[in-house]
Amino acid sequence: MGRFQSFGTKLLLLFVLVVAAAQFATYFAVSRANRTNARALIAQDLGTAGGVFRQIVAERNDILATGASAATSDYAFKSLVARASDAATVASALSSVRLRIRADLVTLLSLEATPVASTAAGQVSGEVLKQLVTAADADASDNPRATGYGYLDGQLYSLVTAPVRAPDIVAWIVVGFRIDNKFAQRLKGQARVDVTFADQDARILATTLPLPVAQALSGDIPRLRTQAAVVTLPLAGESSMVSTSTLPAGGNLSATLVLQYSLDEKLRPARQLERLLLVVACGSLVLAGLLGSAFARQLGRPVEALAAHTRVIAGGDYATRIELRRSDELGRLAAAFNQMSAGLAERDRVRDLLDKNVSPEVAAQLMRDGAALGGEEREVTVLFADLRNFTSLSEKLPPREVLVLLNRYLDRMSAEIERHGGVIDKFIGDEIMALFGAPVAHGDDADRALSAALAMQAALAQLNGELAAEGRPPLAIGIGLNTARVVAGNMGSARRLNYSVIGDGVNVAARLQSLTRNPEYHASILLSGATLRSARGHYRTRPLGNLAVKGRAEPVTVLALDPT
Amino acid sequence: MRRFLPAILFLFAGLAVPALEAAGTVQVVLKDAKGQPVADAVASLTKLDPPAPVVTPPADPVAIVQKDEEFHPYVTPLVVGTRVTFPNEDSIQHQVFSQSEAKQFDIPLYRGASKEIVTFDRPGVVTLGCNIHDWMKAYVVVLATPYYSKAGDDGKATLSELPAGHYHLEVWHPLVAGKVERDIVIAASDETTQVIALTLKPDRRIRRAPDAGGGGYK
Repeated sequence: MGRFQSFGTKLLLLFVLVVAAAQFATYFAVSRANRTNARALIAQDLGTAGGVFRQIVAERNDILATGASAATSDYAFKSLVARASDAATVASALSSVRLRIRADLVTLLSLEATPVASTAAGQVSGEVLKQLVTAADADASDNPRATGYGYLDGQLYSLVTAPVRAPDIVAWIVVGFRIDNKFAQRLKGQARVDVTFADQDARILATTLPLPVAQALSGDIPRLRTQAAVVTLPLAGESSMVSTSTLPAGGNLSATLVLQYSLDEKLRPARQLERLLLVVACGSLVLAGLLGSAFARQLGRPVEALAAHTRVIAGGDYATRIELRRSDELGRLAAAFNQMSAGLAERDRVRDLLDKNVSPEVAAQLMRDGAALGGEEREVTVLFADLRNFTSLSEKLPPREVLVLLNRYLDRMSAEIERHGGVIDKFIGDEIMALFGAPVAHGDDADRALSAALAMQAALAQLNGELAAEGRPPLAIGIGLNTARVVAGNMGSARRLNYSVIGDGVNVAARLQSLTRNPEYHASILLSGATLRSARGHYRTRPLGNLAVKGRAEPVTVLALDPT
Repeated sequence: MRRFLPAILFLFAGLAVPALEAAGTVQVVLKDAKGQPVADAVASLTKLDPPAPVVTPPADPVAIVQKDEEFHPYVTPLVVGTRVTFPNEDSIQHQVFSQSEAKQFDIPLYRGASKEIVTFDRPGVVTLGCNIHDWMKAYVVVLATPYYSKAGDDGKATLSELPAGHYHLEVWHPLVAGKVERDIVIAASDETTQVIALTLKPDRRIRRAPDAGGGGYK
């Protein structure tokens, strides 16, 4: 299952899924649209076919009626009818008329719709003939005409009437054409749908369908006849859309026109397209898989390499570089990794140096804000510490030992200052300048400074113990503390600068430190009233009076801090 | 009655030209473009050198019968002055008309025996019709010469008892446009054969078709 966790596999899956979704969505959309479209087209075709049927019948009726009118205008025919000759002679003359106008049936009716003679042995039902004559009589136009359908010898005929004039209308002639397979084929030729005619008992009269299919359809006709809309039904193993219309043929006789088109046939070209689409879909899926896996590999390997490199960097190795010969984002990412490594290495180096040269807080402030010149005004407690009689001590000892001793002393003092959150501002020979409240304010910086001073005193006592054991003379310390608003910031030139504070308050602190030399005070730690006011803790202090400071209007209250 | 006609003609010929013992015979063989025999063609010979033969119409009228709504025979050759009756053997009525130049007449609808006897008094081809039955058609070929013959189904028309001499041979057929003619010489006791290829026009006629049924779905 681990493989599914890999980025490459996910990418491949995504690729394949997206392509599959797109392709199959397209396939189904097209397939659906094809089906909807085919149905709409067939419904439209069936509607058109119904119109074509009515049009063909109307035109043929018109041709036959016109022909019949012309044929019966023949003088010989008129005289034959007018003279009320025998039916057999009239029938043979009607055959002649039938041949002239290419009708399938010609019948002569009296004005009362009684058949006089016909080309056929049988007779269309009297009811139909009566309806035709009634309708033609009702037609007030110069060429009265009526149309209808009728059965003769079990076959369906389309019928049309025309008057026989001598010159008054003396009789009606009914001309018909047979609705047979030939007619159905002709209709199909024009309407492009399959055509079936059935009688009221669903017996097939004419069809363009193969016999077994027509017989199968015959079973559905009684049900179809009741449906006005287009119906879809299975026929000969295919799905067909069917519409029906009823042709009344006198009394309870009628015929049903069934128009039908195979949905599958309509869909055949679309199916071909769909198959092609499916092949394309599968092909693009395979292609997407191949391309996806290749791409995922291409992407996965460098990502894994970068991940491995991250672990290398996390392990602290900033020297190793990752090599990805690529021009894309990953290549840039690798380059950025290498830059980061270099940057980390550089920062490490700088930080190391800074930590040694400035206090960690100042180093952090520099790393954070950069080494820009300028400063800010803030309240700081400044601490000055100085070794008493260091000059005479340095005269007694060789310079190297002086430095060793000094460093030992400074190291202890620095440790105490830093332990209390102070920052070593600078060493001036044996003098230490430390800041509490800059660059980072703690809120209790005066207390920290006072505690640091006491701790320094204690640390010095301990150092003196060690020095006594070594047979060296003890060291004495003087500490001055003052709290004041000063300007803190980077000072110096653009090339070389120090984080420091300047202000009157700094001088006061330095001054207090130098006052510890005054033996009248009996104190090694002196603080100003400002510092005591800033401090929240309780300290053993002794007020020593006021000190006039140069350039200041108000004198400074001087207090001695005694160890508790 | 008609079958006695050649005998009568023969009798007359024998009487008119007693000196002429030897007579020639011409057999005209009629073929179409495909070599098939052509029936119902009328071959006639017109004598070009004197003496001109005497043309005598038969004493009794010739009958062209209407039967099964058709004329029989389809082609009737006869000499000028021949009288023709049109007995109707059908149960229905017929009408007979001709608009031809050689003879125009119109017999109204009738049944049974011919009410009128038509005398064909001018040479030429007369086309007969029935105005209520378009498919009924027949031809009467009225000739001014006694020497003629109608080809049978074998396409052969035989003219015999021909006095020696120069003749103009003419062939008529309903489907042949224009005249087919040639001059021939007939010697006594000669028997010659004239093979004539005819170019026939398409036979355009109104054909009777069954009145009902056929073609429907059964």
